Amino acid sequence: LILFVFCAAPLLHLTSELLLSARPALHVLASPRPWELLLRSLFLASAVTVLALGLGLPLGLSIARTDLRGRTSLWLLHAFPMFLPPFLLALGWFELLGRQGMLGGDWTATWLFSEAGLIAVLALTFTPIVTSLVALSLSGMDATQEEAARAVARSWRVATRILLPSARPAIALAAIIVFALSLSELGVPMFLRVDVYPAAVFARLGGMAYAPGEATALALPLLAVAIALLLIERRVVGKRTFAIAGLRGLARTPLPLGRWRLPVTLAGWGLALGGFLPLIALAAHAIRNQGFRQLQNWSGSAPWTSLITAVVAASVIAALGLVIGHAFARRLRGSATLDALAMLSFVTPAAVLGIGLVGLWNRPATSAVYGSTAILMIGYIARYSIVGIRTAASVIRQSPVQLEEAAAITGASAWRRLTRIVLPANARGLAAAWLLALVFCLRDLDSAVLYYPAGGEPLPVRIFTLEANGPPGVVAALCVAQVVLTAAALAAGSLLLLRGRTN
Amino acid sequence: VSADEGGHQPVVRLWLLLLALLACAAGCTKSSPEVVVYTSVDQVFSEPVLKEFERHSGVTVRAVYDTEETKSTGVLNRLIAESASPQADVFWSGDPMRPFLLIKRGLVERYASPNAADIPSAFKAADGTWTGFAARARVLLVNRSRLGTGPRPTSIRDLADPRWRGQTAIANPLYGTTTMHTAALSVTWGDAATKAFFEQLKANGVRIASSNGEVKRLVTSGEVIFGLTDTDDANEALRDGAPVDIVFPDADGAGTLVMPTAVVLMKNGPHGESARKLIDYLLSPSVEQQMALAAAHLPLRASIAPPRGFKGVSDIAAMPVDYGQLATEVERIQPWLRTWVGL
Repeated sequence: LILFVFCAAPLLHLTSELLLSARPALHVLASPRPWELLLRSLFLASAVTVLALGLGLPLGLSIARTDLRGRTSLWLLHAFPMFLPPFLLALGWFELLGRQGMLGGDWTATWLFSEAGLIAVLALTFTPIVTSLVALSLSGMDATQEEAARAVARSWRVATRILLPSARPAIALAAIIVFALSLSELGVPMFLRVDVYPAAVFARLGGMAYAPGEATALALPLLAVAIALLLIERRVVGKRTFAIAGLRGLARTPLPLGRWRLPVTLAGWGLALGGFLPLIALAAHAIRNQGFRQLQNWSGSAPWTSLITAVVAASVIAALGLVIGHAFARRLRGSATLDALAMLSFVTPAAVLGIGLVGLWNRPATSAVYGSTAILMIGYIARYSIVGIRTAASVIRQSPVQLEEAAAITGASAWRRLTRIVLPANARGLAAAWLLALVFCLRDLDSAVLYYPAGGEPLPVRIFTLEANGPPGVVAALCVAQVVLTAAALAAGSLLLLRGRTN
Repeated sequence: VSADEGGHQPVVRLWLLLLALLACAAGCTKSSPEVVVYTSVDQVFSEPVLKEFERHSGVTVRAVYDTEETKSTGVLNRLIAESASPQADVFWSGDPMRPFLLIKRGLVERYASPNAADIPSAFKAADGTWTGFAARARVLLVNRSRLGTGPRPTSIRDLADPRWRGQTAIANPLYGTTTMHTAALSVTWGDAATKAFFEQLKANGVRIASSNGEVKRLVTSGEVIFGLTDTDDANEALRDGAPVDIVFPDADGAGTLVMPTAVVLMKNGPHGESARKLIDYLLSPSVEQQMALAAAHLPLRASIAPPRGFKGVSDIAAMPVDYGQLATEVERIQPWLRTWVGL
């Protein structure tokens, strides 16, 4: 019911609007321009995906299964930027490579504000998704095949013939996620002045001629792409799983890199530190322009709003993950539909989902909800429930079903089995789902910017509204505050998870 | 299982209690008087004014600010989208054209503030539907260092001059004050001439920046020689010490477009009394003075001195426009503009 109210209702509202009153809007699809833009966006998203795979695959493999130096620290460092709003990283790259940036000049500025710059910025932003999913997959895989292969083959052959093929579901999932995120990204292409398809949707919502019907009509091809991705994911990834809560592989004897150890180590650390460069540029800019001194005047209550709404929403998402993720993991009837619904909500362009939420919740009867920060939480739950469902499903699928079956035989109700067996047995995995949902909520910008309540904007929105005309040092300092907030949330969550493991 | 149960149940209960408290802290409303304002005036300038009102009146201000990219249209569209159940009491617009789009839809309540008595009649509606104050103008921002000793641009037609091919910039005309400027050109020059000019701009390699602030960035960094922007953005460049000059274009031609900010009272807003108080405050001479000093907005009252380095509104050869007519025109040209931009 929660999933229906939060995810399906705004989408249904939009569909009914389209069918009842905005059917003429479908004519917008008769013009060739949207299709040209769609092809262009599909090409850009493909290029980002290929580049992210090219960087993330070898790094994920090296982190999980080789004797690369400092691989756990490297992984943490490399993964962190993926938890930040991509727009913030683009701003950091601008501070670095813009004409007046730390390392900037004519050539770097021209390159940054081009298709190549967009592909590079997005690929570097999303590469950690590939790295992390591949590393998680290889860390959790059964060691027997690898050990047998190592007895007769060199490291390179073990990596390419055994490890990578076994990580295929994770690679496919990573490619789908990176492709979907790149295709729906709006803030970074707009900032870098590159025309993309989501900008055409946004032009009907943010432009002078307000045309939500046309925006929804234009979102239809994106929804078709999203459904295609979902089908591919179901086919390629299927019911296969990989360990997400356990990192057993890191404890196994790593594959020796031999004479490649130093270059691979340098390349890995170079990539990880490269991902941090925009953050360093932002911090330097904030210090140079005394942004931190004025931070309190300009941050308002935004950091608290971000934190409180994200904590509440992530908790609801984790609870949904427990119920629906469990049903999905155990292949219960209807669970695949609910999972698809949550996935559709995630891949629907944020602006379109936002309009659906406004139409649904901005009514006299629900005005108190719409006018308060509760609408932010509802928006987060609508958009990111899939994060909780998939993470929980992944974890629960690895836990034995026998206990649940035994409890069912003794007459325990489904709710009792869920709260007394599934929850305690998978507490760490569900905590990981909560943590992941929390950082997704903290980094949200594209949807919240459309309906945040008056006086209740989260931190990414405040950065976005101040970005162009606010004191540059303060904007950079606010970005650093977002980084610190995310890092603190991740550190606190990780400590709790590690404590749970030692207990 | 029972051991786990014992370990987890108190934690779960404590967590639920904490969540309830957090949800209440986030969702509970205050009982003190408040007012909700949506504004497309830059947050960096509008927020200090609104905070000052809070201190002065004891009324809590809850604000929604626009982003630079969707300036003046993001919150405007939100006001339209929310019209079934209005959330906002006041719309403080960055220009006088957007209010007409709300007036046309019957979303505005008339209110003639006593503090608007000394504002010239050209900048307010006689029926109280909107009142202007603290204006901006559309100017050319020129990078002196990049320009060298050559002739200076003096007209917006210079943006299409092959002499400066690939060296000029404008903001995306789908958003912000550039939309209004395009409508003003269309009304003044005529449809065909405006479309021809925009095609010349494209052929001349004009850069389409995401916002007027971005135009300022492009000019001050020297990526282009000059660009079309607003006086407040130009003032930022001056304040940062950039080597730039400000040109009020077409002084001997069609004139410079002048755009007062405008305030309107929203119909059926939830806090009518506080809304009137806020409007009275915004229209006071002290706020116009503050906007001149902090944001380089040009005062409409002759009694207030213009910001340093700028002309007073009465000294500008202003483009004669009817803001209501521009509102109609801007809606008419949207499909063409979207095609021109490529969306």
